[in-house]
Amino acid sequence: MPQLLTKTTRTMYQTAQLLEKLHNDTEIFLQQSIQWQLLPTTVLMAKPGPERWSMAQCLQHLNFYGDYYLPAMERAMREAQGKGSRPTPVFHPGWLGAWFTNLMLPQADGSLKSKMQSPKNAVPSAQPDALATLAAFIEQQERMLQLLDLARTVNLNAIRVPISLSRWIRLKLGDTFLFYLAHHARHIRQAEKALAAVLPIAARPVASAKTG
Amino acid sequence: MQSELGHLHTLIHVIAPLPDAVWQDFAAVWQPFDARRKTILTAAGETEKYLYFVVEGVQRAYALREDGKESTLVFTYPYSFSGVADSFLLQQPSRYFFETLTPSRFLRTTFRQIDELLLKHPALERLFRLAVSQTLSGVLTRQVELQSLSAEQRLRAFFSRSPHLFQLIPHKYLAEYLGMDATNFSKFLGQIRFA
Repeated sequence: MPQLLTKTTRTMYQTAQLLEKLHNDTEIFLQQSIQWQLLPTTVLMAKPGPERWSMAQCLQHLNFYGDYYLPAMERAMREAQGKGSRPTPVFHPGWLGAWFTNLMLPQADGSLKSKMQSPKNAVPSAQPDALATLAAFIEQQERMLQLLDLARTVNLNAIRVPISLSRWIRLKLGDTFLFYLAHHARHIRQAEKALAAVLPIAARPVASAKTG
Repeated sequence: MQSELGHLHTLIHVIAPLPDAVWQDFAAVWQPFDARRKTILTAAGETEKYLYFVVEGVQRAYALREDGKESTLVFTYPYSFSGVADSFLLQQPSRYFFETLTPSRFLRTTFRQIDELLLKHPALERLFRLAVSQTLSGVLTRQVELQSLSAEQRLRAFFSRSPHLFQLIPHKYLAEYLGMDATNFSKFLGQIRFA
């Protein structure tokens, strides 16, 4: 599990270190999802229980957020760049941003504290196209790496990004990155659990192919 | 650095062994260089300054098409030379992008240094001629595969040559390289893997 993404009460980050950690976390998500390409679609689409999401559903849920946040963050950074935004050595999370991030993060022991209700427009479809969903997820992580590179040239404190639920609530760019990746960590953990639950039943050939 | 140079020495020994003194000169011009995933090392329009020797990771060269899509031309991985070959050898602006697809480690050297050494050592000039000949042969093989094999046959040929790439990089790059859409790619790949 990415190291940064456990509960925190930090009031400041060294910007360069923060971006490096976020980059490493995204790199881990990417390496995992590249491995998932070798799973049969039946495994990606298998639900571990009637009320639980399949791996593909978890990823589609994250893709909905990526579809909104990646362009929104890029737009905000490009605009700020045009206005001469410069990086600062230190990032201070805002109180609301920190609250959102902590809400998403797993506990130190890895468990998820609160069962959360996903907003209606972020609830995945019953049977997402597993291949297309995984491909889009991977593409989003690659784009995230490029956004984190771009972020090194701008001010994470001053740039604000409207949240997906309301354009009236705007988080600092640094908080948006932290919240976004905490949300990813949450549902990637869920996807891993779904995989662990369905793999022994649904995919004997994969298990043997992996060791062979 | 020593172990990286060891890999370079092994590669060169396979192509055309160099006299010791020439190898010493050649080994002296390389610098270690690391790049993270999805780093563009050479952009279209720039002239390739470096010759790379890949120690770790996967890279690709791609062309940007008029419709904004990308065409992957070639993958490189350890232990081989890399970079935009024609731009480097001819010192003309590159028509392609060269980027890392995974975190990568290289040795690299500049055109000026290589050019000086090639003028000085006929044995090195010969080594480069043979290396470029092998590259040309590879490019022609790919051309034949693109024109005379079906998409499924191309995938089979590629899978048997470079099976490790399938667990290292996003499959969209492989599908693009083979000229297949994502659905056919995964259908045929499933048939190959679970056959």
